[in-house]
Amino acid sequence: MKDSLSKIELTYLPEFDRNFFEKDKDFTSIGKGALGGKAAGLAFIKKTLVERIKKEDFPQIDIRIPRLTVIRTDVFDAFMERNSLFDIAYSDEPDERIAHAFLNADLPAEIVGDLRFLIMGVTQPLAVRSSSLLEDAKFEPFAGVYATKMISNNEPEINERFQKLTEAIKFVYASAFFASSKNYCRGTSNSIKDEKMALVIQEVVGRKGYERFYPEISGVARSYNYYPSGRCKPEHGVVSLALGLGKTIVDGGICWSYSPVVPKCPPPFGDPQDQLKNTQREFWAVNMNRSIQYDPVNETEFLIKGSLEDADYDSMLSHSASTYISSSGKFVPGVGNDGPRLMNFAPLLGLNEYKYNDFIKVLLKTCEETFNSPVEIEFAINFNRESDILEFGFLQVRPMVVSNELVEITEAEMSGESVIASSDKSLGNGHENNITDIIFVKPELFHKKNTPLIAAELKGINRKFAGMNKEYLLIGFGRWGSTDPWLGIPVEWGDISKARVIVESTLPEMNVELSQGSHFFHNITSFGVKYLSLNYDGNYKINWNLINSQDVIEESNFIKHIRFKNPLNIKFDGRNGKGIISL
Amino acid sequence: MSKKEFNPFEMAQAQFDKVAEILQLDQATRQLLREPIREYHFSIPVRMDDGTTKVFKGFRVQHNDARGPNKGGIRFHPHETIDTVRALAMWMTWKCSVVNIPLGGGKGGVICDPHHLSAREQEQICRGWARQMAKNVGPVNDVPAPDVMTNGQHMLWILDEYETISGGKYPGFITGKPVGMGGSLGRTEATGYGVVFTFREALKEMNLKPENTTAAVQGFGNVAQYAIDLYTQLGGKVICVSSWDQKDQTSYTFRKLSGVNLQELLSITDKFGGIEKTKAKELGYEVLDGEVWIEQEVDILIPAAIENQIREDNVNKISKKVKIIVEGANGPTTPEADKVIEQRGIFVIPDFLANAGGVTCSYFEQVQSNMNYFWEKDEVLSKLDVAMTSAYRAVSELARKQKLYMRDAAYVISVKRVAQACKDRGWV
Repeated sequence: MKDSLSKIELTYLPEFDRNFFEKDKDFTSIGKGALGGKAAGLAFIKKTLVERIKKEDFPQIDIRIPRLTVIRTDVFDAFMERNSLFDIAYSDEPDERIAHAFLNADLPAEIVGDLRFLIMGVTQPLAVRSSSLLEDAKFEPFAGVYATKMISNNEPEINERFQKLTEAIKFVYASAFFASSKNYCRGTSNSIKDEKMALVIQEVVGRKGYERFYPEISGVARSYNYYPSGRCKPEHGVVSLALGLGKTIVDGGICWSYSPVVPKCPPPFGDPQDQLKNTQREFWAVNMNRSIQYDPVNETEFLIKGSLEDADYDSMLSHSASTYISSSGKFVPGVGNDGPRLMNFAPLLGLNEYKYNDFIKVLLKTCEETFNSPVEIEFAINFNRESDILEFGFLQVRPMVVSNELVEITEAEMSGESVIASSDKSLGNGHENNITDIIFVKPELFHKKNTPLIAAELKGINRKFAGMNKEYLLIGFGRWGSTDPWLGIPVEWGDISKARVIVESTLPEMNVELSQGSHFFHNITSFGVKYLSLNYDGNYKINWNLINSQDVIEESNFIKHIRFKNPLNIKFDGRNGKGIISL
Repeated sequence: MSKKEFNPFEMAQAQFDKVAEILQLDQATRQLLREPIREYHFSIPVRMDDGTTKVFKGFRVQHNDARGPNKGGIRFHPHETIDTVRALAMWMTWKCSVVNIPLGGGKGGVICDPHHLSAREQEQICRGWARQMAKNVGPVNDVPAPDVMTNGQHMLWILDEYETISGGKYPGFITGKPVGMGGSLGRTEATGYGVVFTFREALKEMNLKPENTTAAVQGFGNVAQYAIDLYTQLGGKVICVSSWDQKDQTSYTFRKLSGVNLQELLSITDKFGGIEKTKAKELGYEVLDGEVWIEQEVDILIPAAIENQIREDNVNKISKKVKIIVEGANGPTTPEADKVIEQRGIFVIPDFLANAGGVTCSYFEQVQSNMNYFWEKDEVLSKLDVAMTSAYRAVSELARKQKLYMRDAAYVISVKRVAQACKDRGWV
């Protein structure tokens, strides 16, 4: 695939046309360098989508890559060099300082005219996404490490819109050098100095509601699923849907996940109250209010959260929500009746409106065949009421890495004195035979209020492991990577990047729905990191006695580092979700 | 043609007459536009450092202000003539009009040689100039700027004197001020970059990529340097530049067929800004006669030095390979040479379009100064690009549609706008 991508780099994209929104050329580029991973992936799939997804098979679905232009990597090089930004970029200055220095720098003169022409013709929200060289690497999932900045771009004054666009570009450039990116690089044996960033400036798919702009549905579809349940197999894949911008899914928020082969499968929640509680209640949108607090170093400067009531008011729920009918105690697909709304996407999935379910299967298969590998795609959907067409915005595609090692774990193995931890809710496949170190959060001292402090301690110790180029097993409580510190330890991937195996457990005082790796899904799958989830009151437990009997290498306020004499025996069976860590 | 015989004002009038004919302008309009609307001639007495008093001759010509306040530089030159100033004032009118900025044309000068004047003496000339002109210039009627042998320091002296007389702060009275003293970011680059913006668009129309083209540049001043800078960034290759040698009182062409390196050349300039030929040779440059820049086998010729450089006697030396001549300098092509170029079908981007980036950025500076709010460089340069590109496209489209020579098309657009403004105001 890499060879093919290289060809695209050279030939595929026409140059940016200054009549951005008037011309047919909806996929262009500025500059002469590389496209970066994200843009190259889109360029690669574009032709396939046109050729392989037949209009006659899905007459009510209009699939397209939203109009975009790519700013190639040579522009990034020129920006860095001409503004002498390397010193601050490679320094340990706080993110804000780095962002500030970048915001004060000038974009190369050769492109500012193109950007102004672009902004003169566009008044709808735009997304500025990174498309870096390291993102290009199939085995190194950089996607999601760098910032994506959306701008509302609805100010009447061109100068203001131009300024916001240039600020967004500089901010995304700066994000390549934020602490989280540097940590990530350390964890992946890459050098931040090798990084070059292309950018994608793309129209945001969506509709305008009351001072909000968002898609009716956004989704992430993966053609390989490490969490197959029931009669589903890993290769059946998994799709996650959410109302509003895809940030909800990418950040690991509550969304609706299902297998494309059984889209009508009921959710694993019992009564209606449970269903309402465990499904999406709020969503992300671009804030179209013109009086937004100026905060150019904030990735979410132009984003706002809305409630289901807001979406209902904007008439955005008709294809995605069901309504609770109190008289019958049941949910009815659609929003024809008054009552609490539930985001279960029943109209689309249950009724197979627009042949959407068939479409997703064909799309995943097509992309998989094109990339010759399991894939992950991101998309956004709008419904055109007038023409009754499902407008499918294809936002991103990237290959996934899947281990095919055959592992057998018997039920008898799952318990016993030599077992440190085991679970039937594990993620990953294969053996690990080189881990001797365990970093764990001390359960006796754990309290929700301390999770940010715990995250900071973990970051420090991970750095030491990165320096030694050594990997460890990590045990903690609550949702790893949660942005809400009351639900789990708010680490970023770069803070725990040397963790080869991650254990996520609940505690009586942290009894939350576990993330099962959703915050770092792509990292985990691509690096082949093993992830094990277990409840403190479930069938499988952590053997704290065994852990506490080992030599302590290092101890801080909230975490302990222990080392075993011999490597641990770690094996995960991806087919049934079983994982075991033992002596 | 020797320099003594050359009368730039006659040339400017001849160009205007040709366009007036194309536009079928009425006699009154022709009469109004082929002469300056106002001229000021005055004397500036200066007490010299040696105690004597010397009187310098100063001018300000306001060619036409129907579209807005006059705009144009102030030149210090020992051989300054009123006809040069008149011609330059008229060209300023057309230049502001072709890029569609709301300004008229003006020019000023003082007959003096700053190389032989102390800073104090130059300051006295500047202040004397301001005292003479204070009633007839200002942010709402005539806005000067630096020009030949004047710089930001001269402008600040003039501004200071004007503000003292007027009793207020009027940063919008002068442009070309240093950044931080009311100057605009991007002003230094503006003219050279503007030159490149226009021929970049021409290359697009010819389906040529900059990286597949070469250029020869005459001159190594501000315009030439920034034109080389941006053209190189776009991927183009400059194979030679010519530069004035103050010591030898002649110019030389510095050629490197693999492409000149701007930073390298900037590092070997003398105190007058000329390239030192010994050091250039050491760096692998061929040092050739100053005139040979015009003979090079390149796609683009960029005369970016002074007027009257492509003449009847050297125009036929232009290589057959040359596709575009971009006039970075003012009036580099004589009418006789222009005819030959037109007949040969070489695409010309005329001076008052190609080098209008300077005045466009001056206009941005004026706007910023009047608001006392200054833009970021990205904003300045992006606006400049848009303005230059739009101006180029309008001219090119007219030339194509009406099968006009580019110079004529540019004149048609600008003269028509000015004539219309005069008519709308009820002047003619």
